[in-house]
Amino acid sequence: MTDEELMLAVSKGDQSAYQTLVSQHLNAISHYAFRLLGNRKDTEDICQEVFLKLWTNASKWQPEKAKLTTWLHRITHNLCIDYLRKHGRTHTSDTLDIGAAEHLLETPQSDEQNESIAIDEKQRVNHAISLLPETQRSALMLCHYAGFSNKEAAAIMNVSVKALESSIARARRSLRTQLESRDLHSTAMKPASGEINSEEKAETIG
Amino acid sequence: MNIDAFTQILETYGAVEANWPEESRAACRQLTATSEEAQQLLRQFMLLEQSLDALDPPHFPGLETRILHQALPPQQLSLSDRLINWLIPKSGSPLSLWRPTLAACLPLVFGILVGNLTDLGAAQDSSEYQYWDDELIMLSFNDYSDSEYLP
Repeated sequence: MTDEELMLAVSKGDQSAYQTLVSQHLNAISHYAFRLLGNRKDTEDICQEVFLKLWTNASKWQPEKAKLTTWLHRITHNLCIDYLRKHGRTHTSDTLDIGAAEHLLETPQSDEQNESIAIDEKQRVNHAISLLPETQRSALMLCHYAGFSNKEAAAIMNVSVKALESSIARARRSLRTQLESRDLHSTAMKPASGEINSEEKAETIG
Repeated sequence: MNIDAFTQILETYGAVEANWPEESRAACRQLTATSEEAQQLLRQFMLLEQSLDALDPPHFPGLETRILHQALPPQQLSLSDRLINWLIPKSGSPLSLWRPTLAACLPLVFGILVGNLTDLGAAQDSSEYQYWDDELIMLSFNDYSDSEYLP
């Protein structure tokens, strides 16, 4: 079934169509929300709200105006931005390392040292992303991870394509600068292998 | 194409050539073929892309189940759907027939109102009425016993 058929069914109260849409779109929505919020609990709350909005407003979606994934990302974006502004946060510096820590716990470690370096690298990138202002982070997530075109990403963020391109350029410039400056000091800054202690892991994974 | 313009393209569209604007691709390719600085810049951006790609997507075990098990509120219907639902309620009770009946009567009521309130363009000149009234009065005074009117 196409998105249009599924949404028509949802607008008529078909819960199995709703279930299909949740399965199809949850990953993309949760990744995007997580990258914006950097917090597992808030991400889960926002995802629940996004799909409630899909259920209640299914008849308002206009397929000729936007793809369903674009519409859902726009709802997610608006909810996340509202949430961040309500809680006075514009970056997520303290919490965006969950993925890396989780990966550390889940992956069997054949070569502990290499694994540790890879995780350290991921944490550095995660931290650099988390320091970006919300508009730059959002632009980067939509274009790089979600695979939207600049035009679609601009529509999701409700900005002009030029503004979107400016945000994404500043995001890449900033990331490049941060990662390069850290490379210069990596020897001094790099933690010893396996430095993330078990308490920290448990706390981050929650 | 100079190195600044190339940097701008890399920052805006990334290191994947397919994402660059079509009109600039050839110039970018030419610059990377000739300039070592451009090659180094491209390598740096490719490394950045690789670092971004290497990040693991987060997993949310149980979230799908939680979403599917949350109580769903009533849906917001469009205006046309709400109108149809009001006109033809799903209860099926014979009493609910008054709504479609009322809807069917609306054009009739509308027609009567329009007919009473307007002349729909068929304006009558009052002096013309007066002329006909006079004619009728004159005819009533006529003596029809005259032989001219007899067969």
